[in-house]
Amino acid sequence: MKTRGPGRPLLAIFVAAIFFLPLYVALANVFKRGDLITKEPAALPIPPTLDNIVAVLTRPDRLYWVSLTNSVVVTGLSIVLLTVLSAMLGHYLARSRSRWVQAVTLLLLCGLMIPPQAILMPVVRVMEATGVMTTLQGLILFNVGYYIPFGVFVFTGFIRSVPVELEESAALDGANRFQIFWRIVFPLLRPATASVLIFLGVWIWNDFLNPLVILGPGQGTTVTTGIYRSIGQYQADFGSVFALMFLATLPVLVFFLALQKQFVKGLTGGASKG
Amino acid sequence: MAVDRAPRRVGARVGHFAGFAGPGLTVYAGFVLVPILISAGYSLTNYNPFNPPTRYVGLANYRLLFTDEAFLTSLRVTTILTVIVVVTPNVAGLAIAVLLDRRGWLYNALRSVFFVPMVLSSVVVSIVWTRLLDNEGPINQALRAVGVDRPPGWLSDPDYALYSLGAILSWQLLGFCVVVYLAGLQGIPVELLEAAEMDGAGPGRRFWHVSWPLLAPALTINTVVLMISAFKVFDHVQVITRGGPGEGTTATIAFVVLRTAFEENRGGIASAQAVVMLTIIAAASAVALKLLRRREVEL
Repeated sequence: MKTRGPGRPLLAIFVAAIFFLPLYVALANVFKRGDLITKEPAALPIPPTLDNIVAVLTRPDRLYWVSLTNSVVVTGLSIVLLTVLSAMLGHYLARSRSRWVQAVTLLLLCGLMIPPQAILMPVVRVMEATGVMTTLQGLILFNVGYYIPFGVFVFTGFIRSVPVELEESAALDGANRFQIFWRIVFPLLRPATASVLIFLGVWIWNDFLNPLVILGPGQGTTVTTGIYRSIGQYQADFGSVFALMFLATLPVLVFFLALQKQFVKGLTGGASKG
Repeated sequence: MAVDRAPRRVGARVGHFAGFAGPGLTVYAGFVLVPILISAGYSLTNYNPFNPPTRYVGLANYRLLFTDEAFLTSLRVTTILTVIVVVTPNVAGLAIAVLLDRRGWLYNALRSVFFVPMVLSSVVVSIVWTRLLDNEGPINQALRAVGVDRPPGWLSDPDYALYSLGAILSWQLLGFCVVVYLAGLQGIPVELLEAAEMDGAGPGRRFWHVSWPLLAPALTINTVVLMISAFKVFDHVQVITRGGPGEGTTATIAFVVLRTAFEENRGGIASAQAVVMLTIIAAASAVALKLLRRREVEL
């Protein structure tokens, strides 16, 4: 492996630049005047303007702020609940010697493949029956149920690598199961917890179909359904649409750039081991 | 003593299950397992929330599906889309991973560039590409500038729309393949490649005879993930084409299931479609896993 010369880095930069072009156009249009977006969409935004962003932030119906609040509440509560419930369920599956473990694991495995589209109609029926349809609570509960298999598999795999002797000696000291789990095991699971929080955080933040169906029309929007509703209203005002998308994506992008090492580690932990 | 102890052990085991597994399993059962059972049940009825009473109709819905033009078209559309989305990011992702398989800040930064679309919402990606591929959008403006008189209507021409959709999905999923292949490449022991080099193998043969077989687990993960992603494509269709242009030229199974359920309110038929969809996904993933796993070797 001793290729020298500038060939490889130049080619790599060129390919990445082509790949990035669509995002450059989107980004440039956030800072461009409306008429220029249609006339010269690919040009640099010179002079740049903040009008589009200000327009979105000061909309009289506060679409951005309401959507942002809903997305933060739904994503935050969903991932905290998912971490707690899937860590405990994962611990049970990794440690229990009950015959049910295999059956439960298999049932959860199926859940990894099931697309939400296939179950949404009956989910709506279940939610109507339990009175959580068109509420944020309903959306959070569905997120927990739908994404729990992913959390469980990350945690179960990780817990198997934690020596069980730690838990046995704590049990001899008289600690009960909950104390052992929360005080001794859970703090050791930080890499798994990070993976679960990161991946589920991004997925739930970006979810479109579930909030669209479960929150329904007029019951508040998340950032994704907010953007979707706004493309109908703005029609030609692409400046505002691009600004709204930029502001809605910013939190996730910052999150990704800050944690990209963990992102890659989480993705490739399984890939290199197979 | 023994008599005294047994019930307490059973109690402790039940307590362990209820405390640790209970809450998670309850929510999972309520919002995933029970709905699947309800779907299976509805698929045998003429259920329509606005047109009671609901009657048992046996397998009539399933029989109907196999003569239903819209559903058969959606199977064809989804199959084409799946082939595009499984092949393109796999091939391009492998090429880019080989290109980026070097140490240093530049290559790390470029890897992140390819990963960005993965963390973007499908709605954002869809709107950006709808703009780009608009008849009067930047891509067609550029084509006209270089002398193409009548550039295609990427999203408005029924002959192009499905392939444009496939390209957009491939662009968004490419980063996943790049990252997984890169990890695979960087996990290959340097000694193996050096040994092959000493035996006189050039870069091409080193890749085909050493690296590629060892990338089998990465190929398995990418193929299965891409397949499942392609199979449930809904968001992009809803935002970009709404199933059009024309009669369902881009209407995927997922899109048709939801339209039948929530717009046409034909709950029984939609449930039968959902059951068929679940069956296909399960079967296709199982076959793909089996075939691909066979190629994997232990290092």
